[in-house]
Amino acid sequence: MKKWTIILCLLLAPALVCAGDKTLFVYNWTEYMPDEVLTAFQEKTGIKVIYSTYDSNESMYAKVKLTRGKGYDVVFPSTYFVHKMRKEGLLSPIDHAGLSNFRHLDPILLDKPYDPKNTYSIPYVWGSTALAYNSDQVDPKNMTSWKDLWRPEFKNRLVMNDDVREVLGIGLIINGFSVNDTDPDHIRMAYESIQALMPNIRVFSGDSPKQPLLNLEAWAGMVWNGEAYMAAREFDAIKYVYPEEGAIFWVDSMVIPKGAENKKEALAFIDFILEPENALLVCEYIGYAPANRTAIEMMPEELKNNPTIFPDPTDVTKGEFQTDVGEAILVYERYWERLKTGL
Amino acid sequence: MNERQGFKFFAVFINMAWFALFVLVPGLMVVGISFLTRDMGSFFAWPPTLVHYKELVDPVYAKVLGNSLVYSLNTTLLCLGIGYPFAWFLSRAPAYRRPLLLMMVIIPFWTSSLIRTYALVILLKANGIINAVLMGSGIVSEPVSMLYTDVAVYVGLVYSLLPFMILPLYAVLEKMDLRLVEAARDLGANGLQVFVHVVLPLSLPGIMAGCIMVFLPAMGLFYIPDLLGGAKTMLVGNFIKNQFLTTSNWPFGSAASVFLLLLMVLMLGIYFLLSNRFNRNQTL
Repeated sequence: MKKWTIILCLLLAPALVCAGDKTLFVYNWTEYMPDEVLTAFQEKTGIKVIYSTYDSNESMYAKVKLTRGKGYDVVFPSTYFVHKMRKEGLLSPIDHAGLSNFRHLDPILLDKPYDPKNTYSIPYVWGSTALAYNSDQVDPKNMTSWKDLWRPEFKNRLVMNDDVREVLGIGLIINGFSVNDTDPDHIRMAYESIQALMPNIRVFSGDSPKQPLLNLEAWAGMVWNGEAYMAAREFDAIKYVYPEEGAIFWVDSMVIPKGAENKKEALAFIDFILEPENALLVCEYIGYAPANRTAIEMMPEELKNNPTIFPDPTDVTKGEFQTDVGEAILVYERYWERLKTGL
Repeated sequence: MNERQGFKFFAVFINMAWFALFVLVPGLMVVGISFLTRDMGSFFAWPPTLVHYKELVDPVYAKVLGNSLVYSLNTTLLCLGIGYPFAWFLSRAPAYRRPLLLMMVIIPFWTSSLIRTYALVILLKANGIINAVLMGSGIVSEPVSMLYTDVAVYVGLVYSLLPFMILPLYAVLEKMDLRLVEAARDLGANGLQVFVHVVLPLSLPGIMAGCIMVFLPAMGLFYIPDLLGGAKTMLVGNFIKNQFLTTSNWPFGSAASVFLLLLMVLMLGIYFLLSNRFNRNQTL
């Protein structure tokens, strides 16, 4: 029987060792936070960060929903998922008094309908989906509108995000509808437009839409601004433009799930990210605009004036923010399946 | 219970418990969920329904399944065509050299297949290694389009699955009694006749095992067509993933999984039936 005891002890040992340390489980988008920031947090507070990533709101939501958020302490949903998760009681209120750096936040991004008074969410960064192109191959005059993607010279040369809402969203925009439209007839018209675009599409990229541009496989396409910023740092022919019909915008926020086990540590982490120095580090690395006004003021001029990160206010007003489409997602998915099966 | 039996019980029990907990239980949950109703709030709910199986009878699903079957079938044939001669030479190589050659087949498995797929991207892309060599040596003036084509998808699938074809073929070819080949030769058979009437029938169990070991995983490796083919065709794996993640339609995704599972069980059943019959013929 002695043997069994030894085996059992060996199995349990790692659990006991960990119990003494403070840990924090952070669940974030891929390529959305530099390692330096995480190490700096660990050094400053002694809290060990366990970091894992996701590539869509939907997969993050499914995990948080199933576990009631137990096992994750800080998560980064987009606006319409904050709304959805808040309504379903999955989020824990955030104590603003515990956030010494709350004052640095940009008031324009606060107290929005998806979370009045920011009771449950603190904005992290915001960004857009618009056009990117390789200026060695494409004349900038031919890349000003979403409609330019349909040009015959782009046959088999476009990269698109592998995302049903965004791709059909372009179809909705060029037909004059909202990207959040739920009318099945409008979605069908969007599908027909995108179907006509299929011969131009070289690749749907699910992980990193900048890669086909950097690989020279694609000459243009729809890309997130952070991806375009990172691509341009590697290869300066990559340009980013806001189409005249307007881009698609989003805000990603930090939330604490209801079931989180390390709420105090989570609050400390959010406060740390709100420190202007850290918000600046994040922006330099991922190329999305911080929700942090002080950080923007501290920025070097070239970063502050980079239109890829900070669009002109008129471009923002022309654009649209994505919201939850509810049951209409089934209609979107049905047309998406048809698009990809060619039926 | 003595110590030895205790260990035996322990080893078997752990294995069974592992499979029951992490394979059987989730599998049964998928079957169960496929009969429930879709629900936005909790993913699935009462009452039980058959509607998701009815929805599967749809040309879209048939096309998705057809695409996957075509990729898998072509991959299997390519692997067989490349793997058979290789396994033959491997089994006929001098005995002292075989471990090294086998090792070279197996070593790529030490790296994650996802990483090996990204490595293929670096080789195949327009400004990648192959195009740099082709253009540097003046063979082509414009980069050849390889990435995001069907060719790239097959390169990726065959590369990842070839060892599953080679190893079972090697196992049967190595054991094959060479005196049978000599006897056929003595009786006047030419090379082709020896192959068709002696070598091929004797290696049939290896061919079938290899084909099944390539075909079934090829159905599930949807990230290779996604990364190398540009995700323009929807395969069964993508289809099921989208039902779970994009539309939160867990019951429909489960129904599609159950159908795929049944299809695979059917193929395995045919395989066992054929190999049983083959073994009986052998003993006669």
